[in-house]
Amino acid sequence: MEMLTHILGAIATVILAFVVGMTYGGLVRKITARVQNRLGPPWYQNFIDAYKLYGKTTAIHHGWMQIMGPAFLMVSSVVTLMFIPVLNNGGWFPNLNFEGDLIFLLYLMVFGPLGMALGAGQTGNPNSAIGVTRGLSQMVGFEIPWVMALVALMIQHDTTSITGLMEAQQQSGTWMMFSSPFAFIAAVLAMLGMFRYSPFDIVGAPTELASGPVSENGGKYLFTMMSSGSIFAFVKLTLYVDLFMGGADNLVILLLKTFAIYMIPVLYGLVSPRYRTEQSIRFFWGWPLFFGVLALIYAAIF
Amino acid sequence: MEMIYLIFIIFLGGAVATYLLGKISNILRDFAFLATLIVPAVLFFTEINIGQVVNFSMAGISLQWGITSFGYIFAYIVLGLGVLAGIYAVTAMKGKENLGFFYSNYILSIMAMMGILFSRDLVSFFIFWEIMTWSSYLMVVFSGKDVQKVGIKYFIFSAVGAYAMLMAIVTTYSLTGSMMIDSLVTAYPGFDFSMQLLIPILLLIGFGVKSAMMPLHVWASGSYSHAPMAYTSVFSGALSKMGIYGMIIVMVSLVSQIPEGHWFREVIAWLGGITAVGGTLWAVAQDDAKKLLAYSSVAQLGYIIVGVGVGTPLAMLAALFMVVMHGLFKGTLFMAVGAIEKQTGTSNFTEVTGLIRKMPWTFLASLMSIIALAGIPPLGGFIGKWMLYESLVGSDHYMLVIVIFFSSTAAFLYCYKFLFGFFLGQEEPEWDHVKEAPALMVVPMIILAVGTFIFGAFPGLLLNPIDAGLQELGYASTQGRYWEMSILFNEWGDKVALQPILYAIFAVFLFFLVFVVSKNFKRTRYVTTKDISSSGEIPKEHENLTFSQNFFQPFLRAVEPLMKRQIDPLYTGFGRGMEAVFEFVRRIYTGNGQTYALYAIIFAVILLIFRSRLFGL
Repeated sequence: MEMLTHILGAIATVILAFVVGMTYGGLVRKITARVQNRLGPPWYQNFIDAYKLYGKTTAIHHGWMQIMGPAFLMVSSVVTLMFIPVLNNGGWFPNLNFEGDLIFLLYLMVFGPLGMALGAGQTGNPNSAIGVTRGLSQMVGFEIPWVMALVALMIQHDTTSITGLMEAQQQSGTWMMFSSPFAFIAAVLAMLGMFRYSPFDIVGAPTELASGPVSENGGKYLFTMMSSGSIFAFVKLTLYVDLFMGGADNLVILLLKTFAIYMIPVLYGLVSPRYRTEQSIRFFWGWPLFFGVLALIYAAIF
Repeated sequence: MEMIYLIFIIFLGGAVATYLLGKISNILRDFAFLATLIVPAVLFFTEINIGQVVNFSMAGISLQWGITSFGYIFAYIVLGLGVLAGIYAVTAMKGKENLGFFYSNYILSIMAMMGILFSRDLVSFFIFWEIMTWSSYLMVVFSGKDVQKVGIKYFIFSAVGAYAMLMAIVTTYSLTGSMMIDSLVTAYPGFDFSMQLLIPILLLIGFGVKSAMMPLHVWASGSYSHAPMAYTSVFSGALSKMGIYGMIIVMVSLVSQIPEGHWFREVIAWLGGITAVGGTLWAVAQDDAKKLLAYSSVAQLGYIIVGVGVGTPLAMLAALFMVVMHGLFKGTLFMAVGAIEKQTGTSNFTEVTGLIRKMPWTFLASLMSIIALAGIPPLGGFIGKWMLYESLVGSDHYMLVIVIFFSSTAAFLYCYKFLFGFFLGQEEPEWDHVKEAPALMVVPMIILAVGTFIFGAFPGLLLNPIDAGLQELGYASTQGRYWEMSILFNEWGDKVALQPILYAIFAVFLFFLVFVVSKNFKRTRYVTTKDISSSGEIPKEHENLTFSQNFFQPFLRAVEPLMKRQIDPLYTGFGRGMEAVFEFVRRIYTGNGQTYALYAIIFAVILLIFRSRLFGL
């Protein structure tokens, strides 16, 4: 019985993440259009696209690794989601929150992209492989300030678990974006790379790489990838809210906070052209790294 | 007779027998080779007890052999990897010349490593260390290519290490009057400070050479890539760990006893960190798989050295876990490269591509090892990485943890390069003839790769002997505090439970695999890698779409300033300078009798002029 409620809770979490992620994706398309003085698609356009992709039959494949690519990607998104507390105090979605910690999560988050990279590799499309190499290189860039921010939080509160960090915020009553400001700045700058909006959209790079790693995928493959991307966006946003904004007591607050955070990379991206890969890497080793070091010093002293 | 003697007699006799049988019959030679590896391994694991010692004296010096529970951990890798790589070698080396020589060297290497683990006194330790160095040197120059450049480099560094170690041993003997390792450990706190510093440094130079620690690592890339791959998997997987074995004894048993040891540890840990970053960046830049793995070995040994340097119980657990894991996955990867080289004739990423459908089992073994190398859950590499990070964060090494994180994130790059370069990408008709490697080569790889999976799911299986070994070194038991069979804890009590993670990963993976495939797979048909969308154009048969040149060029551009700092040119410059000195010295000896007469006269004149200063006359 307990097992059943656990599984139902997990499924509910995944559905929530899917719906929220897809809706946010649609809203971003709308916002982008309005900024560019276009009318734009309706907010539910992503659901229509997903339904269309799901309905399509796939005619060709390039081998088993390509087929496993989307499944790998989904593992990363869904399993990471299981380890991130959606609401404070567990609520409806306890899942596996207490079974893993932040460092584990960092490694789990790269599981999917690497699996996907293998799938993209087997298609033989040079654009896919170029996209993957760019993505991996960029990851080396933004992971450094991101890890610095996380390590700063860990040593400040003597815990590496997300639930532990959330409890620390509830006890002190202040959000970590105020109690560890430098860590927050470093993490937000790293987030710009993590969400891959302009100027860091070098992986997909429309008009340059023909959507990069996902080219050669259509129908159900693309549907799975799209859903995985939406869930993963939700995962990352929730993680930021949990770590820096004191988590959320109910769903409405969660949506407000995540949307506010989401607008940072989106709005920054709207006014920026694309970087070259090495510029993108070097960007993260400039100011974000500086703030990361500040965060570490701040955490070590206080 | 003592079982310990029997094991070494079998090794020695087997080495000679294999060499001699090599002149008579190939099958007998192969049989003798495998028997010489397997029989002692079986004897060791069934008959030898931890703590059992034999004493004997040689030339008036009393020697002692016996295995400790700390050495037992390393014996697993030496014998396990030694046997599996031996089975692999029989098929992989088939048809090569001079195989009796190769096999007997291989056996001598394994024997020397076991001897190092058995030695309880410094004399036999040094003798076995030298046998190990010599046999591995002969393997490095086995192919006969670039002996001048690669072999000499390895030899010089090994010699420097050996002399340093010999100096430490002689100093120890003069100070304590005993050759036993134990008596060095007990007498060490009583030495004066300069000796307390000198002995560990000299020993660490010796061990640092073998474990490829910065700045003694420059021999590694050439030597690992020049030895036959069947041997390199042992060379990198097990032999380099002997350096770690010695290093742990020095760091834990000696240096920790003095208050200044703290700073010593920091220096070693940072050297390890720099080794890891440098090794990783250079691995990313390589186009040859052997070189890539060689640099990657240097980097991985760097992580282990960091763990040893930090030296908290969790860090030591991490280091020893990574020792075993590195043996498993790097052994597999070198074997995989050997298999590919045997089947295609090259190990260069820019030449061979798209082998996934031709060599699926090799791909599977490589994939699992690469996942373990990258440290991605749920395979075994993750356990070591996780423990290392937690120990660094928990012991206030904030900058070091960032350095290590940078290095292991950059490691994803060369991991992908390895898999993509060989197995993925365009399938060229040039390689259509390639077949999967023989079963006897594939099976050892798969066994090792499955090992990474088992230890990833149940790290307790491995942490149990490691814990016993650490207790031997004086640590408190860590079971229940830092680990259980499949749960890991850090210093603050935060945990990672591996069972639910494993189940979740498999459940989600299977669900979505079925989801993607169901009602879909039968309707789809396989198409070649030429049948792709390339901006609306259909690529022609002869069009080359392989992407392998300058694979990570943008990344390498970004890290260019870091890679400019190299130690190798410094050594080369030093070598050139020495050559100039020798050249000058040589010029003195002109071979002309008149010149020598002149020298004699000048010498006499100098004596006369300075006689008051020199002799007080």
